[in-house]
Parts: sequence; structure tokens; C-alpha cells
Amino acid sequence: MQEDWTAVNDIVVTVFGALVLAGALLTVVERDPYRKLISLGIMIGGAIPFIVDRGLLDVAIAVALIAPLSTLFILMVCRKGEQ
Amino acid sequence: MNPQDTALAACAVIAVYAAIRVALEPDTLRKLPFLNVLSFAVAGSIALILPHPLSLVAAAAYFVGTTLESNAIASTYAGGLDRRE
Amino acid sequence: MDISLLAFVHILVAAAVCWLNFIAIDLLFRLPASGGVVGATAIGKHIEAKGGALPGGIMMGNIVSSPDASAGTLLASCGVFIAGIPGGLLTALLVFIGNRICNDPGYAGTTGAISATFIVSAFTLIGFSPAEFIAGMVIAILTIQGISHRHSSRLLAYLWRARGG
Repeated sequence: MQEDWTAVNDIVVTVFGALVLAGALLTVVERDPYRKLISLGIMIGGAIPFIVDRGLLDVAIAVALIAPLSTLFILMVCRKGEQ
Repeated sequence: MNPQDTALAACAVIAVYAAIRVALEPDTLRKLPFLNVLSFAVAGSIALILPHPLSLVAAAAYFVGTTLESNAIASTYAGGLDRRE
Repeated sequence: MDISLLAFVHILVAAAVCWLNFIAIDLLFRLPASGGVVGATAIGKHIEAKGGALPGGIMMGNIVSSPDASAGTLLASCGVFIAGIPGGLLTALLVFIGNRICNDPGYAGTTGAISATFIVSAFTLIGFSPAEFIAGMVIAILTIQGISHRHSSRLLAYLWRARGG
């Protein structure tokens, strides 16, 4: 039981940590704002399993609902800037 | 390995593969299907990491949220506001 | 060794079952006919520009921009894995709410979730685990959206013509 738990933890930490790092690096590297937003989506996708892994499911629900809303507001700002 | 660990490993490997494909895709709109694969893998992982009724709601909320995000990005990039044709 | 090989075969069988379920329901609800939102049509046109077929591209765009039968199958597998058949029906409700948020009628996703609930429950009676269906659905969506957009959109367009347009 104990070893199973650590095995799951190892996979979660390795893979989703790699996702968070890759998403953050891509966000820095990309130039286009739309591509930056897609890379931010990768980063959020890597961060939420960490919250679930610690058992904070209510926080995970809140983050999963708030992150796309912030993206929507950033998109509105992008459209204002282009016109 | 029990089925849960096997499934979690498969989801994790596919998530990394999808992230690599998103990073390498040159066309902005064609990144979105790969991002969709990534969100499928992450939503499955959420339910597999912690089998609890609330994680079902968390997986659904994450999936709907990321779908809404892709929808908004695609529609705004394509020039129209988020409206039906 | 034997057990892991059996789990591998189980995941492949589950992937095939999930693939058939969500493709059949998406084609039944005419997803390749037209883009539900502007972004879905735009994704279809970009895929067509790279050598794909337009109906398949539009269906992939619809899968991206609204929770359809594939999302219903995945979340219903999660629901059966966590809470049995009531969990699967709860996810059908959640998928319906999500469809309404994404400005979609939502019949494809709800139907997919309900049918997947009963299919996954039936397979648990013969020794499958619902967790294998979660991995199988992720593999199934990988074959459509994640390997080669050109070939998968052509395959979807072929199936759409075989259904009769």
C-alpha cells in the first residue's frame, strides 16, 4: 500500500512537474499573444493535478473554473488592442 | 501494478506527448486539437489520482473550463466574437 | 508479467470500444455537418489547408470547442470508476451543464455519457476495470486528435460519407 502510494506520487510529480515547466518556458518563448495563452493552458493543466494530489479538491474546482475566466478577460483585452 | 496505476501511467505519458506536439506545432489553430488531447489526459488523471466523488466534479469542471478556453481562443483568433454561425 | 500483459490487452480493447462509442454517436448527431461556433469552422479550414478533409476537420473543431460524446465517454468512465452507475449519470448531468456553458444544444454529450455509463458497467461484469476505460478513452482521442490531423480527418470524412452525409 505504502509503495503503491509513492509510485503514484512519483509519476505525478515527474510528469506534471515537467508539464508546468514546459508550459512556463513556452509562455516566455512565444511571441504571439494567442500562442502565449495556449502555453498558459499547458501550465494550468500541469498545476491542477498537484492540487488534487494533496486532496484539496475544492481548491482544484475553483482554480479549474477561474483560470479559463481569466483567459476570457485577457482575450477581450487582446481584441481591444488590435482594433 | 494494479489497473489504476497502469491507467495513470498511460494518461501521464500521453499528456507529455501532447504537450510536446503542442510545442512543436507551427500553426496556432492547429495547436488546439493537441491541447484537447492534453486536457483529456489531465482530466482522466484527476479522477485516477484521488477516487473521491468531488474529484468527479473537479474533472468535469476542468474539462469544461479548458474547452471553453479553447472555444474562446479559436473564435477570437478566427475573427468573430464568440457567437453561433 | 502475465498480469501486466492482460492489463495492456484490456486497455486496447477498452480503447476500441470507446472509439466506436464516441465516433458512432458523434456521427449520429451530425457533428461533421457544420461548425457549431466560428472557431470550429476555422479549425476545420486550417486542417483542410494542410491536406485534410473539411468534414473531418469540422468534426475535430467541434470536439475541441464543445464537450461532445468523447468528453461524455471520458467523464462517464471516471464516474463509473468513482461511484458506479449513479456516478455515470451524475456526469451526464455535468456534461449537459458544460454543453450549455459552451453554447451548444448538448444532446451528443449527454447521450454519449449515458450510453458509455451502461457500456462500462457491462464491461466491469466480465473482469474489466473502469480505470482501463479512462486510459482507453485517452488513447482513443489521441488517435483522432493527436497523431496526424491529415489522416484522421480523411478517415472521419470517409465515415461521414458512408453514413450518408
